[in-house]
Parts: sequence; C-alpha cells; structure tokens
Amino acid sequence: MNPIRLFGIETEYGIAREDSETADPVVESMELVRAYLDGHFTRRWDYRGEHPHEDQRGFRVTELAQDKEEDLFAEQDAHRPFSFHEMKSDLVLPNGARFYNDHTHPEYSTPECRSIKDIVAHDRAGERILWIAAQRRNEVLGGRVLQLYKNNTDFHGHSYGCHDNYLVSRTINFESLVRGLLPFLVSRQLIAGAGKVGREAQERGFTPGGFQLSQRADFMETELSVDTMHNRPILNTRDEPHATRQRYRRLHLILGDANMCEYATALKIGTTRVVLDMIAEGFVPSCDLASPVQAIQAISQDPDLKTVVKREKGGTISGLDIQRDYVQQARVVLKDIDEETEWILQEWEQVLRQLEQDPLQLVGKIDWVTKRWLLDSFVQDEGIGWDDPWLASLDLEYHNLDPERGLFFGLEADGRTTSIPQDEDIQKAMNHGPVDTRGGLRGLCVQRFGEDITSIQWEGVHFNGKNEKLHLDLMDHLEPVSVAHCRSVLENAKTPLDVIESMTVEK
Amino acid sequence: MEQTKECAQMVGSLDRKERPVDHISKPSGPGDQESGPKRPETGSPSGDNLMKRMKKVDPKQAEKYRQRTGE
Repeated sequence: MNPIRLFGIETEYGIAREDSETADPVVESMELVRAYLDGHFTRRWDYRGEHPHEDQRGFRVTELAQDKEEDLFAEQDAHRPFSFHEMKSDLVLPNGARFYNDHTHPEYSTPECRSIKDIVAHDRAGERILWIAAQRRNEVLGGRVLQLYKNNTDFHGHSYGCHDNYLVSRTINFESLVRGLLPFLVSRQLIAGAGKVGREAQERGFTPGGFQLSQRADFMETELSVDTMHNRPILNTRDEPHATRQRYRRLHLILGDANMCEYATALKIGTTRVVLDMIAEGFVPSCDLASPVQAIQAISQDPDLKTVVKREKGGTISGLDIQRDYVQQARVVLKDIDEETEWILQEWEQVLRQLEQDPLQLVGKIDWVTKRWLLDSFVQDEGIGWDDPWLASLDLEYHNLDPERGLFFGLEADGRTTSIPQDEDIQKAMNHGPVDTRGGLRGLCVQRFGEDITSIQWEGVHFNGKNEKLHLDLMDHLEPVSVAHCRSVLENAKTPLDVIESMTVEK
Repeated sequence: MEQTKECAQMVGSLDRKERPVDHISKPSGPGDQESGPKRPETGSPSGDNLMKRMKKVDPKQAEKYRQRTGE
C-alpha cells in the first residue's frame, strides 16, 4: 500500500497585554490577526466544511462538553460592537495557511505539507508571521506591550492546543488506529514534550514544584473523545476529514505540545507519520497499556525517565521501552524505506539512546531537555528551589516570540539550537505554500486571484465569475501528480474562469 | 483577497544564526551514532547573555499571565 503523506499543524498562541490587566483577549486576538493585513478585512472563510460533532466511531454527538462555554462566550460576544465573523477575522494567506482568532487565541494553521522539512519550515514561518503582526500591533499601541507565547498553558489551569493532523486512508479502521497509536502517543512526549514546571489541573489552578516532560499531559482526561476543550482525550475522535469522507480520515491529535525546537517538531511529525505507515501495513503493537491516561501523566512527571507503567496483560514498561519497541518494529514492518523515513528512524533511534545515556546531548534539539537544562542552571545560579514561582515565569518566557526576550530565541541567536530547514526555506514559506500539496494550490489562488475569491476553505475555493459562481474543488487534489497539474493550470490562467474551464476539460 | 505585506524584510531582527543542516535528504548509514543534525556546544548558560536574559524575567510574570481555555 502506498502510504499517504499529508500533514499539518494548528497552533493556538498565548496572547498578553503587559500594559493592561483589563485588555479584552477577544479584541486583542482579532486586532493581532488584522494587523497582518494591508487593507480592510473581508470575510471569506467558509465554515460549512467544519463538523466538530462527527465522531470517528461512527456516530454524531448532540453536544460537546465545551458547547455551554461556547454559548456563554457567544452571549458575551453578542454585546461587542462587531459580528462573529469580524471577531474571527479568518484569513487565508498567500502560503495557503489559515490565520484567525480561535477561542480568544490567535491560531495559525500551516498549509498541508508532504515532507518533514516543509512542515518544520511552515511551522516556523507561522511564528514569524505572528511576530510581524505583533510588531505592527505594538506600533499602534505605542510600545512593545503585546506579547505572544508559543506554549500550551497559563499556569493557572487553562490550556490551549497545538494539534497535529494526518490524512489517513479510510481502509484502516478506527479501532486499528487506536490500538496502534495509543502506547506510542502516551510516550511520544519523550521526544516532543515542551517541558513544564509544576503541575496543573483543568481550570483548577497550579501547584509549583518539580519539572515534567509535557505541557499538556496534565490536561489529558480520557483515552478517546470528540471533545477538545474539556474532557480532553489522548486520541481525539473528531471525524472531519476535509477530503472525500468515503476514502479518507483526518487523524486530529490534540495531545501534543507546541515545540520551539525544529528538531522536536520534525521528529514529532516524523515518528507519528512512521507509526501510521506501520499501522497501514497491519502493525499491532505488543505493548497495550492498562491505563493510558495514568500512564501519560506518570511518564510526564518523571524527567529522569525511570517510571514504569502498567501493561494490560500484566507487567510494566517504561516510556523509553515503549518507544524502542515502536522504532525496532518499524525496521521490521516497513518495506521500501525511503530517504526521509530512514532519516526519521535513525534520529529516533539516536534520540532514545541519548535520552538514556546522556540527555544533555539533546539541548537545542528536544524542548523539555533544553528547558530543564536552562532552569536547572538558573536554580543553581540563583540558589532558589524548584518551587520558586520565578521558574514558571522563565518557563513561559522560553516560548515568547519576541526575539529580544524569548529564551529559546536567545539560545538560537547564540547558535545553540539545531536547525532543520535553511533560513531561506522559512522565509520562502512565509509567502509560498508547498509546491506538492493542495495547501500550495490554495496559496496560489490567493496570490493570483485573491480579489476574485468569494469564499475559501480547506476543500475548495469559490470565485466570483461574470454570470456565475466558479468553484475550484480541491477535495481530491491530494497526490503530487494531481497537484502538479492543477498548479500548472493556476500558474498559466489569466482569470479564475480559465482555471475552472481548464480543470473541467481535463475531467 | 487581503493583501499582506512582503514579509521577508521584516524579520531581520530575528537574528537566527544559520546552522545549515539538511540531513533529511542525506541520511547516514544506520547505526552511525554521529549521523544527523549535530548538537550545539551547549556548555552552561551561566555568566553569558542567556543567563542575563533569564535574570531580566519578571518573577511574577507567570502569576500575571491569564488565558482562556482553548482547544
């Protein structure tokens, strides 16, 4: 079976006004998004493709746990001097990304990517786009008072997400995905955890002291659920493929942390993609866990990686051993290992060795190791304890997008981090989508015919024609050959009508 | 569609030091412990610019930082 390679990352950023305790986060997020525009905002995002109540297990829920809170927000928003759509300020950028205000957090969704290098470049391009918007907003505010954080918690029990998404064949049943993924996801934090001081509970505050691997593990409450804001699951069951439903699923993972280290992002997406390839080949892991929720939290709370968790059929296993089992089995299960997959497997094996033997080799590559090293140095230098509230502030500042303040960016400026794409790749990704995915096609539509677009979303674009509405269906432009053809049409057309006529003739 | 300004010239201040690594397309042989991106020389942040940056952080910054629950 040819593996499907298409993935993307959605990141909700933290936003704070340092000059005002009463600033409205709805307004701030809206103004931030709009600051990226040269002109006025025009509503074009089409919400009809969104189905958050559909469940991969074959049913539709009548309500989500967050619906009441959403209704309350909507009630509050009704008193504001702008509409729901103005508040959302949904943009599609020339690189095919979506940038908007989601739940009072500015959110950047990368365009769909096919390669690890592209996804890392686009994730980092998103950081730079948000920082540009923040600079412009700060010009209006009269100082560097608006700050953005690529993290997942406010240290008061409020979490916001960084979701990774993968297109998966519908021929793989959902139960196989769950069985194949759960142990991997529980232990993925060894590689992809962003690190956090203290402990939290959903909307019940913060307990200082100690250090854990993951920002999100405290907020995982169940194994499977369609919910995303409350009762958060290790494996989200939302069934919203943004592709032909009969042929595809979209795996929507909400358990992950937002990574600053490019290497961590590369391995987070890369190892997950490899496990999906394994499942497509019929792989079933040998390490079922007795309680995945307890396990994800226990593994997170032990940065020395000695903790073992209970297996369903008796015995225990460590997070490192779970990961080792997957990477060893990948070498057995996967046939025709291509260059990118070989890179992922080599780095995965090496990281697991280094985590066991000398984790400090991973400073600048793995976020939790990097953050722990920074904070440990600070604790020793200042002679403070791990329960000192200063450490939560430093934890937060690790994720600050301000290049003159962010601790990660300080490390990067000193040349102490590991880069995956070249800087020019990131610069290019700010204005251009991947050449081999429909994300790039969406971006081309914006670049070439932006003023003609009447509505746009993941699955297609509507243009204003002379006498009719023109629709470019991107639903099934998922393979490189199809994308290349559509790209050629878009590049050579003079009008949207040319595009639609050319694509229709080809059909 | 909304026009966005050309971004490239606006991020000069990010000052990313280039560490050109493109090993994704050039993997080394399996089992080579030195393969892949190389880790930086980390040393210790004590006494350098990074430690100064850390000491400037407001100890109460996290206490003041409040967000709404997101997804």
